[in-house]
Amino acid sequence: MSTAVHLDEITKRFPGVVANDDVDLTVERGTVHALLGENGAGKTTLMNILYGLYEPTEGTVHVDGEPRDFDSPADAIDAGIGMIHQHFMLVDPMTVAENIVLGNEPRKWFGTTVDRERARQEVIDLSNRYGFDVNPDDAIEDVSVGVQQRVEILKALYRGADILILDEPTAVLTPQEVEELFRVFEELTAQGKTIIFISHKLGEAMHAADDITVLRDGKNVGTVKADETSNEELAELMVGREVLLEPKAEPQEPGDEVLAVQHLSAEDNRGIPAVSDVSFDIREGEVFGIAGVDGNGQSQLVEAITGLRTPTGGAISYKGRDITGASRRSRIADGMAYIPEDRHERGLVMDFDLVQNGILGSQHSPTFAADGRINWSDARDHAERIIDEYDVRPPHADADAESFSGGNQQKFIVGREFEREPDLVVATHPTRGVDIGAMEFIHERLLDLRAEGKAVLLVSSKLDEVQGLSDRLGVMHDGELMDIVDPRNTTEEEIGLLMAGERPDADATDAEPPVGDAK
Amino acid sequence: MSATENAKAVLRRLTAASATERILISFAALVMAVLVGAVIILVSGRITTCQTAATTLFGTGFCYDPVEVYLVLFNGALGEPFLVNRPGILKPLNPDWNPLSFGLALTLKETTLLIFTGLSVAVSFRAGLFNIGTQGQLVLGGLATALFSFFVAPLLPSGLVGGLILIPLAVIVGALVGGLYGAIPGALKAYADANEVITTIMLNFIAAQIAFVLVSEFYGNPDSQVVETTPLPDWATLLPVAFPQGGDFSILALAFGLALVVAVWFLLEQTSFGYDLRTSGEQPEAAEYGGVDAKRTTVTSMFLSGALGGMGGAIWVLMVMGKWQAGVPALGFDGITVSILAGNNPFGVVPAALLFGTLKSGSLAVQFGTGVPKQLVGVLRGLIILFVAMPEFFRMLGSAIDLEPDRETVATDGGSLGGDDE
Repeated sequence: MSTAVHLDEITKRFPGVVANDDVDLTVERGTVHALLGENGAGKTTLMNILYGLYEPTEGTVHVDGEPRDFDSPADAIDAGIGMIHQHFMLVDPMTVAENIVLGNEPRKWFGTTVDRERARQEVIDLSNRYGFDVNPDDAIEDVSVGVQQRVEILKALYRGADILILDEPTAVLTPQEVEELFRVFEELTAQGKTIIFISHKLGEAMHAADDITVLRDGKNVGTVKADETSNEELAELMVGREVLLEPKAEPQEPGDEVLAVQHLSAEDNRGIPAVSDVSFDIREGEVFGIAGVDGNGQSQLVEAITGLRTPTGGAISYKGRDITGASRRSRIADGMAYIPEDRHERGLVMDFDLVQNGILGSQHSPTFAADGRINWSDARDHAERIIDEYDVRPPHADADAESFSGGNQQKFIVGREFEREPDLVVATHPTRGVDIGAMEFIHERLLDLRAEGKAVLLVSSKLDEVQGLSDRLGVMHDGELMDIVDPRNTTEEEIGLLMAGERPDADATDAEPPVGDAK
Repeated sequence: MSATENAKAVLRRLTAASATERILISFAALVMAVLVGAVIILVSGRITTCQTAATTLFGTGFCYDPVEVYLVLFNGALGEPFLVNRPGILKPLNPDWNPLSFGLALTLKETTLLIFTGLSVAVSFRAGLFNIGTQGQLVLGGLATALFSFFVAPLLPSGLVGGLILIPLAVIVGALVGGLYGAIPGALKAYADANEVITTIMLNFIAAQIAFVLVSEFYGNPDSQVVETTPLPDWATLLPVAFPQGGDFSILALAFGLALVVAVWFLLEQTSFGYDLRTSGEQPEAAEYGGVDAKRTTVTSMFLSGALGGMGGAIWVLMVMGKWQAGVPALGFDGITVSILAGNNPFGVVPAALLFGTLKSGSLAVQFGTGVPKQLVGVLRGLIILFVAMPEFFRMLGSAIDLEPDRETVATDGGSLGGDDE
């Protein structure tokens, strides 16, 4: 076995930040290597250096044993490196074959015209060689996200890549598509290709990789063989201390109904139906989970419930009263806490400090603003309490929200919403971007709220999270609530099928192919 | 780095500047403007012909002396506390200097009026609404004040008592009319999604024409050839009591303006309404999330902004003219620059308005005191305003197009601000 990539003491500094600190990384040819770490650990920066997007401040990149100095991705591509970014760079109306050859089209008539026929044939040959299931004539906009990803991989292979870098490749996929991707990995490595993929999910790295390198705070904290390590060991490497991985809810009898959604329909911002005829209820002391691939109507459903979107049909009742037309402010005043999906747009005012952000939503409540005048010293105490209890770092109440890392912003929002003393908590992706330690803490707090008899609506694209925390689990696909299942007696595969839009009772022959509508 | 990236980097740097940095930038800009202006003075002094050179540099004679021009400019704005003596040297003090002189009154008159319009624009800008219509709100507010005073004055006892009753009422009427006129584009924005920049600009013309028709056809002074209302009795206006040399400046109006500065600051920073307003201006989605009623806040903010503009009109009528007269000076438009200069901060409006006032009154002194033509003085004024306002303008632009500050884009995985992505 030879070395495909060797990064030697790479350090990358940005103004005020050391993104990579003296990182060594060795990747053997023909293996799958996972780069594991929290957000902000420096994984993407490191890979961008390998791909020629950044120049390292110190250190050298060796490819196939040769020291290399890439000025741009073009140099990296010449050296046989391909990178598939998190956001695909495909032209939607063009076909699969056209996208794959784009920029390197075979030509005819002395280079004046694209030889479409040869392009198509080359793409077919290429996908046959690696056992890819793609139709070269489909338009990109008509194929699922999983297929789009395979097109991206083919594009890199077409340009002669031997080393493939994938940045968080599983983020947008259903569990089935993830399996399919890992099968593609095996096929590629069998043919001598080398794969490096970035992830912050332990399970994936364990499952798909031969070797795992863990980055923490820009440093390489260890490279291990996947079959010689454990989830616990990896979690400890990532976080730097021992962590409890599996949230477990004690069985408990739910109380009265808190929220009831009946036949709710809503449109997205473009006026296209996004939620159709969704009904469910949540009771005191119950966590109701919603699973689904991002972009299947969860956001619009949650916005309708929290008062940010006017439903086009159906009704919502909260604590026994119809609130379908109630204002957002009255819902907040009535004890509805909401951890929004998009913390930069909604959850925080980026140019406000944490003192001001701490009262977002409470700016009219008697606690902070009796007689319309805000009591800033109370607001400051409040923000400092959240910072303290939810371990927001650095603990500066006067710093603008913008200056905090994503995970710390999230902790602050979670703290603010949990401290509202709510009756209903609507939590969308509450642990998105936070480290494992904070994730554990947020999960515990969610379960505490449940134990106190609060109702919780939990929306997450992390299946293990919704499955572990929920008492009942609804699965959404294409705006519909496919089914409500008992998460403890349902397998990940069954939920995955529902997420892909297949009802278990549907006849296998006329079932639609799994098409993710994730955007 | 490409030109676009360079430009973005500069915008980011400006957007991230602290308050102290911004004040320093403003001073540096002022110095730069003076230097550039000096070159222009020299160049135009070389092109012009004159009998005796005003100054000689490197053996070449120039008709205008930049040092003298600037000294006269600032000296004149303060009512000539120093005697300017050629070649550009200050004599310690002018024994005849009177702090309550005409020059200073002129400076403070402009300052006072611009405090009102500057505040008006600042309030709307802080709410994320680009109210370009302060001028129209001022025109109609002023007219309302003039007509109200004219019709109510005969019902009141003349003299101090009448003034004490009438003047506050007249200002309130001006504020109400200006506020309602501002609320129109606010409501159009909130309920019909009409861009407030366009509507407020158009409403400026409408206001000017309505006022013109009303005064020329119905409420004008029959004894006058000019389109204007009948002059108000002295007791119903704000007289320049403290400044006997004239200059149409009333210390009461300035005190009222300064009180409004504090009131607007209090409203913005200390009240729930101000929080709603600022949140809407900073990040409308977050405001919505926080339970702010966007439509109501839009209308209320525009009413408030219009009311401040209307009060500016009331003060112009009561303090400067004693009547309403067609051809209202562009105080509302200058208010936009004042507000940008002030970083849309109510306290910043005071020095910004003072700079404007100084330049305006100083230009008159230059015009009369030196041979420099008034067009050139206008250029110098424009340069100073342009230089000082530009950094703040680009700062606003930087925040408006929502540039991510440098460090976030690079510090996180995935490159998104405060990165997440499942």
